[in-house]
Amino acid sequence: MKTAFKNSFIYKNPSVLIFLSALAILTIGMTILSEGFGVGLVSTSFIKILGKTLCFCLIAIAMDLVWGYCGILSLGHFAFFGLGGYMVGMWLMFARTKDIVINSMVNAPLPPTPNEIRDAVGSQIFGVVGGSEIPMIWMFADSLLIQLLLVILVPGLLAFVFGYLAFRSRVTGVYLSILTQAMTLALSLYLFQNDSGLRGNNGLSGLQNIPGLTEVSQDIISVWFLWASAIALGLGYIIANWLISGKFGSVVRAIRDDETRVRYLGYTVEIYKLLVFVITAIIAAIAGALYYPQAGIINPAEIAPIASIYLAVWVAIGGRGRIYGAVIGAASVTLISSWFTGGQIPNISLGFYTIKWIDWWLVILGFGFVAITLYAPSGLGGLFDRLVRKQVNEESK
Amino acid sequence: MIRTFLFLVVYFVSVLSVSAQQNDLQSILNQNSKAVERASRKTLQPVLKSLIDSKLKEVPIFLEKWRAKKVWIRKSDKQFFYINNKNSTPIKLIDISSGEIVGLEPKNKLKQLKPNSGVRSIIASTLVQFQLIDIDKNRRLAALKAIERDANSSHLNALRATINKEPLPSIKARMLRLERLLTIRFDENPTKRIKAINGFAGDTNVDVRAALNPILQTKIAVSTILPEDKNIAKILKVGDSISTQVAYDILVKNKLAPAQISIQERDKSLIANIKNSEIAGIKTSTLDNEQSRIIAYQTLVKIGAVPDFVTNEQRAKSLKEFVFFNQYIETNKTVTTAAKKTLDTINARVKVFSFIDLGLDGLSLASIYFLAAIGLAITFGVMGVINMAHGEFIMIGAYTGYVVQQFVPNYTASIIIALPLAFIVAFAAGVALERLVIRHLMHRPLETLLATFGISIALQQLAKNIFGTQARPLTSPDWLGGSWVINDIISISYIRVAIFFLALAFLFLLLFILKRTRLGLEVRAVTQNPRMASSMGINPDKINMLTFGLGSGIAGIAGVAIGLFAQVTSELGSGYIVQSFMTVVVGGVGNIWGTLAGASMIGGLQKIIEWFNPSNTLAAQTYMIIFIIIFIQFKPKGIVALKGRAAGD
Amino acid sequence: MTKKANPHLTALAAISMITVSATMAMAADTIKIGVLHSLSGTMAISETTLKDTVELLIDQQNAKGGLLGKQLEAVVVDPASDWPLFAEKARELLTVSKVDVIFGSWTSVSRKSALPVLEELNGLMFYPVQYEGEESSKNVFYTGAAPNQQAIPATDYFLEELGVEKFALLGTDYVYPRTTNKILEQYLKDKGIDASDIFVNYTPFGHSDWSKIVADVVALGADGKKVGVISTINGDANIGFYKELAAAGISADDIPVIAFSVGEEELSGLDTSNLVGHLAAWNYFQSAESPANAKFIKTWKARMGDKRVTNDPMEAHYIGFNMWVNAVTAAGTTDVDKVRTAMYGQKFPNLTGGTAEMLTNHHLSKPVLIGEIQADGQFDIISQTEPVNGDAWTDFLAESKVLKSDWKDLKCGMYNTETKSCVQIKSNY
Repeated sequence: MKTAFKNSFIYKNPSVLIFLSALAILTIGMTILSEGFGVGLVSTSFIKILGKTLCFCLIAIAMDLVWGYCGILSLGHFAFFGLGGYMVGMWLMFARTKDIVINSMVNAPLPPTPNEIRDAVGSQIFGVVGGSEIPMIWMFADSLLIQLLLVILVPGLLAFVFGYLAFRSRVTGVYLSILTQAMTLALSLYLFQNDSGLRGNNGLSGLQNIPGLTEVSQDIISVWFLWASAIALGLGYIIANWLISGKFGSVVRAIRDDETRVRYLGYTVEIYKLLVFVITAIIAAIAGALYYPQAGIINPAEIAPIASIYLAVWVAIGGRGRIYGAVIGAASVTLISSWFTGGQIPNISLGFYTIKWIDWWLVILGFGFVAITLYAPSGLGGLFDRLVRKQVNEESK
Repeated sequence: MIRTFLFLVVYFVSVLSVSAQQNDLQSILNQNSKAVERASRKTLQPVLKSLIDSKLKEVPIFLEKWRAKKVWIRKSDKQFFYINNKNSTPIKLIDISSGEIVGLEPKNKLKQLKPNSGVRSIIASTLVQFQLIDIDKNRRLAALKAIERDANSSHLNALRATINKEPLPSIKARMLRLERLLTIRFDENPTKRIKAINGFAGDTNVDVRAALNPILQTKIAVSTILPEDKNIAKILKVGDSISTQVAYDILVKNKLAPAQISIQERDKSLIANIKNSEIAGIKTSTLDNEQSRIIAYQTLVKIGAVPDFVTNEQRAKSLKEFVFFNQYIETNKTVTTAAKKTLDTINARVKVFSFIDLGLDGLSLASIYFLAAIGLAITFGVMGVINMAHGEFIMIGAYTGYVVQQFVPNYTASIIIALPLAFIVAFAAGVALERLVIRHLMHRPLETLLATFGISIALQQLAKNIFGTQARPLTSPDWLGGSWVINDIISISYIRVAIFFLALAFLFLLLFILKRTRLGLEVRAVTQNPRMASSMGINPDKINMLTFGLGSGIAGIAGVAIGLFAQVTSELGSGYIVQSFMTVVVGGVGNIWGTLAGASMIGGLQKIIEWFNPSNTLAAQTYMIIFIIIFIQFKPKGIVALKGRAAGD
Repeated sequence: MTKKANPHLTALAAISMITVSATMAMAADTIKIGVLHSLSGTMAISETTLKDTVELLIDQQNAKGGLLGKQLEAVVVDPASDWPLFAEKARELLTVSKVDVIFGSWTSVSRKSALPVLEELNGLMFYPVQYEGEESSKNVFYTGAAPNQQAIPATDYFLEELGVEKFALLGTDYVYPRTTNKILEQYLKDKGIDASDIFVNYTPFGHSDWSKIVADVVALGADGKKVGVISTINGDANIGFYKELAAAGISADDIPVIAFSVGEEELSGLDTSNLVGHLAAWNYFQSAESPANAKFIKTWKARMGDKRVTNDPMEAHYIGFNMWVNAVTAAGTTDVDKVRTAMYGQKFPNLTGGTAEMLTNHHLSKPVLIGEIQADGQFDIISQTEPVNGDAWTDFLAESKVLKSDWKDLKCGMYNTETKSCVQIKSNY
């Protein structure tokens, strides 16, 4: 019994338990403090920021798996994140609009036909962007179940096709980074077109209004999503740790360190890489599907190359090769960003010049990246590691 | 000389006589006060007619002043005056007949007449009759320009009357050409027209096509049998060259067939026939699908309340009874045949020319990409460093150009100063970046990517803080202002030509530096094997620094060039960074020829895709990138791949 | 005075990471005004000016003694041209900073992002930019132009005054140009222009490679019809476009270009000597001659520097802000619903010499001005109409023709006049 526990995954990875407890405490604590369920000390807007941050943490875990452990610096994972958001967004928009349309047709002299409903939904959704017909890709938008499946399938398939082609041709290193960047750029440019069928630059909006739950206040919905995001993050964290702790993880890390040697040892490197790429793409897509109903709007700018670069930066700041590092990086950068751009920090007047934080925040952030890459190559997670190790050393002394 | 004298005499006589005349300019204008004050293309003709008919000699001058927005009206008594300097206070009023200063008024008592460009062009076209015989050649040229812009049939005779009196051969040639164009458009005599048409074979200018195309305008007509007397362009086959629906709609429009019942009309009739929530005995609540609504409607048809549907068979039957054809609006068949023949020869050449023009556009885009990417290619190729801040060096160059123009107002001088200065500033920035950051990350290429990205967003925001968020002007000198026009189809702006040569210069300069100088030798040595190179006495640190500086410096120059034809904002560079990376990767890393190949391919391809889909530039960019992704699958090392030892791993 | 220990830094240290709502409720003695304009990212180029405008207006109002005996206080946030952030920041402004009104947004997508939040929390926003219409939210006042206050009169001008027979509709690929062009295409077809005489092209934001598109436009003249360009090109892409136009030597007399998104601000980024005569349609130009305008320009330049210009969205904020101030004074409170009701029928002198009135469909009545670009980067106003009532739902598209907005009597922003029912109370986003 005892040995069984000692061999168990949790025992080998004590950090998982610590992380899950921290996550649980945070989520429960926030729920108690929230406006929706608790004493109302924490604003709904902060709950939303927190929920979104957890989704970012989840995609950062995916990024850490693919980059920190497998050595593929993907500059395109936000494409999957965005696609996940689009898939769930289609249902949210379609179902909400359909409810509105049916309600508005209740008093019509003739009961509406399915065609009429479809036309009205089409002109409601696409009228905004100068269209009126529902494109083919919306054919499943009426069904939540299929759209949720598509959250996994579409990005998974894209990652599979892209990864298969790229790894088969043995595109590696910087080339692969540029190629993934090209992928997300092509996707965002495609979606930017008004005729892409996903409302072009406007994207899908009003996603925070969940169909059928129009009476439920955002104060409550935000907490639900906080919980959903926390659970997803927790599961993602467990899966990531489980993946890297076994033999699979060893091979993947070996590929990162010396791909050629692993190939000589008889492993089909491409399959491992492809697996990691597809799994992380799906994790990213799930994160996106949870993120955008909280953000309220998804549009192609979300998957522009810069978003994916930021993602790499979070992981680098957090310290790659450490799953919790990714979480720390994503959480700290996004939270500090939202704090600095919130306009709640007073400006500093120097007499001849007033330092406005809104103006200088990006400069600080930029040089912060540089400082961390230069002086703390293993990121915030590395500092954390050193702290823990120091304590352990002191204890052992 | 005599003409001048006569003109002056007439002028003075008229000046002396106007005040006495009842029918002077001021009173004609006052009669038409409203139409002059709020001149519109639609209401202008009567005013102009009465002005011309008055035969007053000051009318042409008045028209010119009017067109130049120099005619003002005094609000109190609606009198018209010329005003030459509207910024003096008070404003000096000039009498429209005598040309003398007749009073002073503050600005708020006056109102300026601002004829819009539609009115101005009609005035210009009216002025033609006076200007064609003017002694000033600029006025005659203005008249020709006015005819070219907005010709009417009266111009033809005016032109014919003056051609032979024209002393200057260049203007005469232009007049002759214009006369032939006007003959095509306005002459009554078919023989003369055909002769003029034939004379233009192969002339690709837009004005020729603009004269010929209207002759070939057609309209769709319908008839039971094909009429013999009409000038028919083409017989339209239903379902082939004209869609069944369009053809039937024409029949309906001409009341030759019964109208089809649309879904909206059907539902309208259904709603109109609702009685006690029933339609002819059918409950309305059951009508929630197409099928039941059709049945309900047919029930109404049976009781004769509504017209029946037109079935597809009925439609086909009606269509069979008629013949559809395209009919020329021009009635004379010989004219249309000649026009078609000439236009065909023209269009064949237009196609070739527009392809050449497309090639020029592609070349221009390629040289811009080359210029933007070559600096990156050097740093990337030699040092294996991805510099995400490369775009910001481009931006630094552009802002340097802007700052220089603030201090050196002469555009030519400022560009001459700005180019080397942009190089120096960006070089310095590059060296600083290399020494402070990149050197310490030498063996961690992916981390340089992140560090330089940090630099990139910091620099962008710094630029915003310093220069503000508004776009800043960077103006090219006048000699780079226009376009190199080969004909109406092939033309390219001089600034793009200059960029092309700049790119070419850098290509050769870099080739020279790398292949023929000591520095180049050392750079190549460091590229291939830094350790070996350093044991041969080369200092790789110094080489890296210089290379990085060189790459950044070129980006600075690219910035000035890009700023000259596009916008100078803090985001200028970030728009080029991804494209630059792709250029380098597609071309093949570490090779200048590779970058050239990459830039040519991307630039050329983008234009070709745009050509297929001219209404959507965004789509062109999307497909281009997808093409690149696929391309790299097959040529992962780029077009020009290094081979052997130079290729490294 | 700033030498001693900086109190701001200590305050900075004191603020905890978690933005507790309680801390923000302390300053109840001021009326808070949210400013939701991007100060970084691509839209900063246009929106920063509007933030400065609101700050100027607030300072002016405070100098006059504030409002309801309280001082006004601006809460400036930066949504960074990131559309989801508009929703997030709007929520923050309304629930955390507890602002009474928001002045903000530029692009349609940013407005659509903030809309659900405004409607959910019953906030109030003034939107100052010309837009594509097809919307009327209970919680937004649209002080910019609707299509019938800009696009349609401009097209009429092309048709009637310039005799244009062939149209090139060039735009940036996003909702405002798309919808505007859709309306215009239908309008032109109704006016008898053949579909083949309408050329449409869409380019990405910040597009800089214009040579081929300009050549395409020139080639349109080959069939002898007069060509005119209607440009809905957005922001700084205009600079490259006009530079290419100038280089190609296209005079406004040959191919006139009328722009809906090019104002004084955009022209300050380029040399206009080759663009003289090209057109823009707005409800305001800096060159408008009225005492109020002269005063406004003077205070603006005194505050921001002599080189700065004023433009149409600034006037929209000027009108919107002053109307809001008057409505609050009339209602005696900043309560959103009461202020909203007090807004209807508010009149305020606009800067072009007339009077703007707030209609019950939340749009303004404003005159339409058409100006020709001059060599100094200003516009010469050559046409000014009587005030036109802003129309939320265009009359030129079949599906919008039947819709009507009236928040006073019908209490609905999307009322179907055929079925006599309110399609939806919230707006479609």
